[in-house]
Amino acid sequence: MPLVTTPAIVLSALRYGETSKIVRLATREHGVQSAIAKGALRPRSRFGASLQVLSEGQAQYLAKEQRELHILTAFDLLHLHVALAGDLPRYATASVLGEVMLRFAPPDPHPESYDLFRDALEALGQAPTPDVDALGFRLLWHLVSVLGFAPSLEACARDGIRLPETGALPFSTREGGALCPACAAEHGATQLPADAREDLTALLDPGAALPRLDGRHGAAHRRLLARYVRYHLAEGAELPALEFWLRRPWEAA
Amino acid sequence: MSAIEALITELARLPGIGRKTAQRLTFHLLQQPPEQAGRLASALVAVSERVRPCEQCGNLTEEQPCAICRDPRRDPALLCVVEDASAVAVVDRSTDFRGRYHVLGGRLSPLDGIGPESLRLDPLVARVRGGEVREVILATNPSMEGEVTATYIQQLLAGLNVRVTRLARGLPMGGDLEYVDGVTLAHALVARQEVS
Repeated sequence: MPLVTTPAIVLSALRYGETSKIVRLATREHGVQSAIAKGALRPRSRFGASLQVLSEGQAQYLAKEQRELHILTAFDLLHLHVALAGDLPRYATASVLGEVMLRFAPPDPHPESYDLFRDALEALGQAPTPDVDALGFRLLWHLVSVLGFAPSLEACARDGIRLPETGALPFSTREGGALCPACAAEHGATQLPADAREDLTALLDPGAALPRLDGRHGAAHRRLLARYVRYHLAEGAELPALEFWLRRPWEAA
Repeated sequence: MSAIEALITELARLPGIGRKTAQRLTFHLLQQPPEQAGRLASALVAVSERVRPCEQCGNLTEEQPCAICRDPRRDPALLCVVEDASAVAVVDRSTDFRGRYHVLGGRLSPLDGIGPESLRLDPLVARVRGGEVREVILATNPSMEGEVTATYIQQLLAGLNVRVTRLARGLPMGGDLEYVDGVTLAHALVARQEVS
């Protein structure tokens, strides 16, 4: 069994038996992998407090060929991202990012998504509270884009015809972006108002200033993003963190 | 489905018990005198019929309110908030804490879809508003989810004129600095105490 050493972030940690944990790891070199951390729950375990959800470190595991569950031998903690636990909206957003990685990142090397996810957790932890919402939108759109589902806004998602640079646009979640009038008439689309288009363009551009989204626009954008993720990535699977983030239960308190 | 198969299936639903262990337990039970299986069955039925969450604190009990809430020697001004009823037993057995408890029934976990509405937070706020509680001790687990739950409760109780504290985190007794992880050591350093 070859020993693999790779940067990794814990996506989920399940208790297994009396003393062990099964973890799903986003690894930089090998995609999403599962491993058992034997004895991780013992008081004097070598894993200590390192196997928390969203903790970042250097993982070492014995890779079992043809098997889906490897043996985690070490996890040297580099960053625990405790700032994410500073408030529920921040943690909920980080959880959606983790869920997207957990469900949709491939079990093959995909450093782009790993690097983006790692940087996203750091940015989210450091963001001022009023920016958490908009930053969360931007990070999620970027992660979706890196995973190969970037929404098209400049050209028709069906026939590639260039679209006007400003103004409202027909948008189809199913087709993966904006449509030209002909394709919209044929395949159906909802109208993306000019200001929502501007916001989405700014969110997709890492160099642009974060748009200020009021409650109504934020809610509409959240629904659009959730619909997009569900359609392109979920394939009917349940996404509890996404649903949690969508219904914002902390607002009812 | 045969009776043996039905028992194996039910046992295998329990946490930490796979199908092989369920089979072993089933055949072990079959080798015992019938009275032993009967006692086990009776105990299971009694637990499910008689044990309920305490209406005040959420701890598991056969009587309302539970023995801890009824105990007049306990300090009602101290309230220890824990995730699950099992933690009540651990804290009560291992420490000389003589206050009362509040069981949340879980912790905030977006990945499991568990939000504030799934926890016993309204009863907690009501107990604090009742005016008897002077200090709420947040004893949620030292995990990310436990931390976010503690932070959420702290924000929920802000302005209710109650002291909110969190269990300290640090080095375990009998441990060895060489083997302590950086996070625990960092917490221990931040929460260091003066020795006099």
